[in-house]
Amino acid sequence: MKAPILEVRDLRKLFPVGPAQGWGGARPLVRAVDGVSFALERGEVLALAGESGCGKSTLALTLMGLEAADAGAIWFDGQDVTQARGAALKTLRRHVQMVFQDPYESLNPMMTIGEIVAEPLVVHGLAGTAPERQTRVLKALEEAGLKPADHFAGRRPHELSGGQRQRVVIAAALVLEPSVLLADEPVSMLDVSIRAEILNLLSDLRERRGISVLFITHDLSTVAYFADRIAVMYLGRIVEIGPTRAVLRAPQHPYTRALLSVVPVPNPRLRRERVILQGETPNPVRIPPGCRFHPRCPVVTERCRSVDPALTPAADLGHAAACLLLDQA
Amino acid sequence: MTSSAPTSDFRAFWRSVRANRMALAGLAMLAAALLVAVAAPWLAPYDPEASLRVTIEDVYAPPSAAHWLGTDDGGKDVLSSFLYGARVSLTVGFFASFISVVIGGLIGLTAGYYGGRVDNVLMRFTDIILVIPDLPLTLVLVALTAPSLFNIILVIGIVGWTGTARLVRSQTLAVKERKFVTRARAIGASSPRIIARHILPLVLPLLVVNTVLVISLAILNESTLSFLGLSDPTAVSWGQMLNFAFTRGAMSVGAWWALVPPGFGIVWVVLGCTLLGYGLEQILNPRTQSHHLSAGARMVARLTERLTSQEDRLARPPAPRPPDDLSAAPVLLEVRDLSVEFVSPGAAPARAVEGVSFSLRRGEMLGLVGESGCGKTTLMLSLLRLLPASGRITSGEVLFLGRDLLGLSEGEMQAVRWSELAMVFQGAMNALNPVRTVGDQIGEAIRRHEVVNDAARLDRRVCELLDLVGIAPERRAQYPHQYSGGMRQRAMIAMALACNPQVIMADEPTTALDVMIQAQVLELLASLRRQLGLAVIFVTHDLGVVAEVCDTVLVMYGGVAAESADVDTIYNQPQHPYTQQLLKAFPDVSQVGGRLVSIPGYPPRLNALPPGCRFAPRCPAAFARCHTEPPALHAVARAHTASCHLLDPAEAGRRAGRAA
Repeated sequence: MKAPILEVRDLRKLFPVGPAQGWGGARPLVRAVDGVSFALERGEVLALAGESGCGKSTLALTLMGLEAADAGAIWFDGQDVTQARGAALKTLRRHVQMVFQDPYESLNPMMTIGEIVAEPLVVHGLAGTAPERQTRVLKALEEAGLKPADHFAGRRPHELSGGQRQRVVIAAALVLEPSVLLADEPVSMLDVSIRAEILNLLSDLRERRGISVLFITHDLSTVAYFADRIAVMYLGRIVEIGPTRAVLRAPQHPYTRALLSVVPVPNPRLRRERVILQGETPNPVRIPPGCRFHPRCPVVTERCRSVDPALTPAADLGHAAACLLLDQA
Repeated sequence: MTSSAPTSDFRAFWRSVRANRMALAGLAMLAAALLVAVAAPWLAPYDPEASLRVTIEDVYAPPSAAHWLGTDDGGKDVLSSFLYGARVSLTVGFFASFISVVIGGLIGLTAGYYGGRVDNVLMRFTDIILVIPDLPLTLVLVALTAPSLFNIILVIGIVGWTGTARLVRSQTLAVKERKFVTRARAIGASSPRIIARHILPLVLPLLVVNTVLVISLAILNESTLSFLGLSDPTAVSWGQMLNFAFTRGAMSVGAWWALVPPGFGIVWVVLGCTLLGYGLEQILNPRTQSHHLSAGARMVARLTERLTSQEDRLARPPAPRPPDDLSAAPVLLEVRDLSVEFVSPGAAPARAVEGVSFSLRRGEMLGLVGESGCGKTTLMLSLLRLLPASGRITSGEVLFLGRDLLGLSEGEMQAVRWSELAMVFQGAMNALNPVRTVGDQIGEAIRRHEVVNDAARLDRRVCELLDLVGIAPERRAQYPHQYSGGMRQRAMIAMALACNPQVIMADEPTTALDVMIQAQVLELLASLRRQLGLAVIFVTHDLGVVAEVCDTVLVMYGGVAAESADVDTIYNQPQHPYTQQLLKAFPDVSQVGGRLVSIPGYPPRLNALPPGCRFAPRCPAAFARCHTEPPALHAVARAHTASCHLLDPAEAGRRAGRAA
């Protein structure tokens, strides 16, 4: 079996926030990513779910090399790229591309769609001649579902709808023929009817091109359709990971259960008891001792206040959760 | 694509300049000034350099046939001096501003893009230059150097860059934060490339506008210097002419003709620059240009509009009132056949809402569902009569407890708004005032509708409201930025509740929130409804949320009511193809695997609507009639209506006949 395309081991990313504590004191640190480990297999779609502030976007930026990791290691295609700089980082960026949340903001309003999609080729010095570049741009646009491509190439972002813009972002990522796509909430700003198109497009790309996708979202309903595995993140750490079916049907961590119970189900006959956690994700400056979820946990025990649980395997193969209840079972 | 883009860009730019009266006037004024400067040797009746034999009659001679604008103290022709003076003034203006803009632009870009220490050093330097008053600094520098035209240009240019630097820096900072710059970094683009391709083009419009204004400043500066006698005496500018006239007794002999022309020249150029500057500002902002839902295909829009508008009114039967619900609750709000149009000059009116009817009972939660741009928010705003200036209600009734709100005077409406019908707006951060405490803002909402003189009573009421929406009353003294997104939305709900309204309209109240926070807000709305007997209109595009909390649903498409029924019917027996498609497109966490069905195409542009059913171009079940004739609202069952030809009994009969 080949090594995973992307592997993360005990990754940490800290940000100093606010003023220093007293004269010469250290500034408090936000532990945005606090010891995350996972592997993204080739051709796999891994969903990373969690509330805002849980560190999932910081994780993506760190994987892209847009933020420097403070500890831990990132392996891409069997190579340690944690400290990659300069040429090595540029090569990495050819293979790992990102799709951002807000299609209204992630396109330069002054450039034409053709120029936007061609830019990665220019930056990486690929496809030297103009006609060759043009061919690749049109091919990427078609592949992202913007047909006829030459009809779109000369237009500007403000002439397109949100869904079309997100397709342009995807085309600009595809033009480099990357092996990994990091999609950070790619559909949360779009209308429901358009979400389906984008999700189906990403699903097709995985099938046709074998691209691995790390899909970051706060909404579990969008991933049920096409993720192979789901990782649930809470306060900078993965608290549950496993095959989609296992996580959705038999969630092990109380946080996952709560998250699942509040996902709206489009059927009024299925209105059910919802576990509504009070408050929002706690401040990652002061991560609670013991299990980081214990202050909001509906099934908290005395031990949870002092013991920080590690990921423990559950019944299904490849399914694990960081909860003490699993230990006892 | 790459070769033709610049020329077509320029053509488009030129077209918008011609359409902008301010820019056009400014441009014409500057062009005239430039023409005068260039053509001075041919236009001027006399050569101002030529030596003259002057008699006493020639000094300050009033305008005459020989000297149209009279003569000055040296007996020279004022018109000729004025024409030649344009050359000097404009030369100084253009070159000095060029220097200012280049220096300021470079410093601003560098400081803004690199930030940190670079920014600190550059901006403190800029601040130091900025706090030294311009004029004394210029005076000192000019006095220290030889008074030549070149030196004057240099000094004015070097002194005038600070404003540009600050402007460019703040714009760079704003652009740098935008996602497409992050995306360019993620692609692997280098800093020079990002500055050149992504930041500069967005700073440029501002820079161009600024340049035009800097030109006028430079010309004014030069005039001031000349007037103070600090310029090259051999190069007579307009300022110089003023200086000579003032110091050499033009005022005392009443020779206005020596003063007015140069003054007029200065005002003319400065005014031209200012007009052009403001005009360009309007043109170069890309957001003011077309939008995918509004512009394009204008001709077609107008034509179809003309063709359909008349038949439409005739062919379309009046919308039947939705059958009454038997539930005992009294009807609070009843909307009948409401239509709203948006008019914009040069475009067909956008029919944002057309013939929508619904009713709302006490304690009912109505979900108003549809894609963006289908008229949901417009409908809500028109109920409150808060449409923007370009919108107007063309027909219909809004009955609140039997009283037509559309017939009320603005004063009477004011009393209904907020105390009877309140609205929770989309985007809680933007709807709250960032510089006032949350408690203060809730207090203001209370006071706007009832006189509360007692401060303690007001405070008590604010605390009650915060408690009601689940915010600790101690937090009333905090500012919106100290609240999280979910809490801000709660505060907005507290404000809506301030005057004990009977109906709350919540416009996408949970769209920007996480699922957990969304669940909290939904729970809150549901509990308030139970507690206070409120009726709630819940506007959203999220069918899952509607299924969780609403009793009845109104599905809108392209400004019309597509289907309306109780929530169970909508989800389990939808009749309109749009509702059916929308439900299939909605991701369901209980369905692992499989594939979502997407609705091909996009919602119609409201100023270019299809002639028949508005959903026909995207409808999988559309047939010939759908493309020509708008469907009427058909009753499917009690309290269930849908506007689709498939539900027309006549159509069903026709089909059965054809099948047989």
